[in-house]
Amino acid sequence: MDDRRRRFEAQALPHLDAAYNLARWLSRSPVDADDIVQDAMLRAFRAFDGFRGGDAKAWLLTIVRNCWLSAGKATRRRGHTSLEDENLMAPENDPEQTAIQAGAKRRLDAMIAALPEEFREVLILREMEDMSYREIAEITGAPIGTVMSRLARARALLRETARDCP
Amino acid sequence: MNCQETLHTQSYLDGELDGAEAVAAERHLESCAQCQALAAGTADLSDALRTAARYRAPDTLRHRLAKELDRETRRAPLRRFWQGAASGVGASALAAGFALFVLLPPSAATLSQSIVDAHTAALTGGKTIMVASSNHHTVKPWLAAHAGISPPVVDFAEQGFTLTGGRTDAVAGNRAAVAVYAHGNHEVDLFSWPDRGAQLPAAGMSRGFRIAFWKMGDLNYAAVSDVDAASFQKFIALAKSQRE
Repeated sequence: MDDRRRRFEAQALPHLDAAYNLARWLSRSPVDADDIVQDAMLRAFRAFDGFRGGDAKAWLLTIVRNCWLSAGKATRRRGHTSLEDENLMAPENDPEQTAIQAGAKRRLDAMIAALPEEFREVLILREMEDMSYREIAEITGAPIGTVMSRLARARALLRETARDCP
Repeated sequence: MNCQETLHTQSYLDGELDGAEAVAAERHLESCAQCQALAAGTADLSDALRTAARYRAPDTLRHRLAKELDRETRRAPLRRFWQGAASGVGASALAAGFALFVLLPPSAATLSQSIVDAHTAALTGGKTIMVASSNHHTVKPWLAAHAGISPPVVDFAEQGFTLTGGRTDAVAGNRAAVAVYAHGNHEVDLFSWPDRGAQLPAAGMSRGFRIAFWKMGDLNYAAVSDVDAASFQKFIALAKSQRE
């Protein structure tokens, strides 16, 4: 295997789950997420010589987001079929717990999916991918102040929804 | 009541503030009911999101991707060979720089993750201490007997970090000794485990916790805590200076 491939597998591929998670939540479709991530990983691989260290995760997620944008609105609204998805990371193996959590998971899933795009992406990047405000600003191209207010708004919306339909 | 500081409080909760700003936010949080509610709600939400909603790339995608990368790799070698030859010395310097990266991840990322996991699991499980003592003559032999290593254990009570005890924990598959310190209401965990030559990650933040690594003697060390940046630096300096 050549050197670039090895470097890519060491630095970028560990973030494949992060890339998929972002694509999945942005597109809300497993089919689109597959295409977006494959497109993004190939673009990342071709551009990898231009990547000079730094945070490979933020770099990769920026590419994922761009691929999602360029995939266009036509496919972006294809649909949302996340409910019975085995790719959600299962937190527990205890069957009783799993059953209880499956219901909560489904509700949460629907709540996040219902958020407006610009709120959803900052929430996913912060809460699931541990990105800093600065990194989120770089990935989304929004100023840090905007990132902060969108994050606050996203959290408030989720809390309100959770309260209204417990 | 409508607090004007909520964005600031949020930044603090997200681990974005350092030093004086963090202290100011903490102080505000002590007296503002709205921000306290925000903190509680944000923490619940974070927990729910972290455990319930992250998607994992399907294996079919992984396989497809591996094939696509194979195809890319086969197609491009000639072009890249000439590019490499043209850039000469620069390329080999770059390669040397990258070699270091190749050794680092993913173990570096998993190491940080593993330590923050251990720290948060101990905090949430209330099991941060297995042997409670502020006497290093008690903690040190306990750690030697239970963790199989004997790191220096020093009480820094006079400098603001009181030794409260120790426990054993697992760090990326290694058995580690943990010396537990209290700093106000915060806990600082000092992990140590045998150095087997692995690269250590850079210091940073992970899920709101500060984490730093270093090597000393034949041990690797990691400090992890949610104290403010200045206190954390102070603790690291103390820990690095410890001698018995």
